[in-house]
Amino acid sequence: MIAIQTDDVDIGTLITEAKKQGTGAVVVFDGIVRDDDITEMELEAYEDIAKQELEKISREATERFSLLHVDIIHRIGRLGIGENILIIVVAAGHREEAYAGSRHIIEAVKAGVPVWKKELTKDGGRWVPGENPHGNPKTR
Amino acid sequence: MVAGKDKIDREEEDMTVKIRFFARFRELLGTEIITEVTAGTTFISLIAATAEKNSEGYQAIFDEKGAFRDFVILMKNGRRIDIADAAKTSVNDGDEIAVFPPVAGG
Repeated sequence: MIAIQTDDVDIGTLITEAKKQGTGAVVVFDGIVRDDDITEMELEAYEDIAKQELEKISREATERFSLLHVDIIHRIGRLGIGENILIIVVAAGHREEAYAGSRHIIEAVKAGVPVWKKELTKDGGRWVPGENPHGNPKTR
Repeated sequence: MVAGKDKIDREEEDMTVKIRFFARFRELLGTEIITEVTAGTTFISLIAATAEKNSEGYQAIFDEKGAFRDFVILMKNGRRIDIADAAKTSVNDGDEIAVFPPVAGG
């Protein structure tokens, strides 16, 4: 499942469905709204392009790390502290591939998928700066 | 001859493009702007003309010399356009142009 959506997902169900034949390890990454003295977080995406990018990242990771299953769900809209932002579920035959694949996917998402976060505070809000300030992620 | 020229003029008048801004740029300049363009309009001239309507928005995207700030990301129909090529890249009828700051998802 590759999605940009407002709704949360049931991670337990995703794990169950990730266990394809041959699976020896499932790694879950769950990015969460941290309590950095904020009230909420607002996320927006260039949705069509972001979904295409997630699909590309999933294909590349599957091939490179011999993954058996990949889910990437990036939530948008207003999220409260403790809510899930990004869920990545990766299944592989062995833990090495599962961990490496999961790590590759999260770094690729942060580098090049058009999604933005605004931290809302009692005094207003602030956009979270991107990690590629020159706008040229290495993945492109 | 005259009829042919009229046809060309009408086609030029009919050219429209969609400009989409995101994140801080969206707050300053609007979410989605549909605008008419003439043949030969370049990427940079189109975005500059659109951004000029809000000085803070213009300054967020362009430097004091009128060049794109180096962190600005440009897309045309889902494909990245290097800011160094923005002055020589023309926009065409039906194009979707996107302008946004560095991504910060995850």
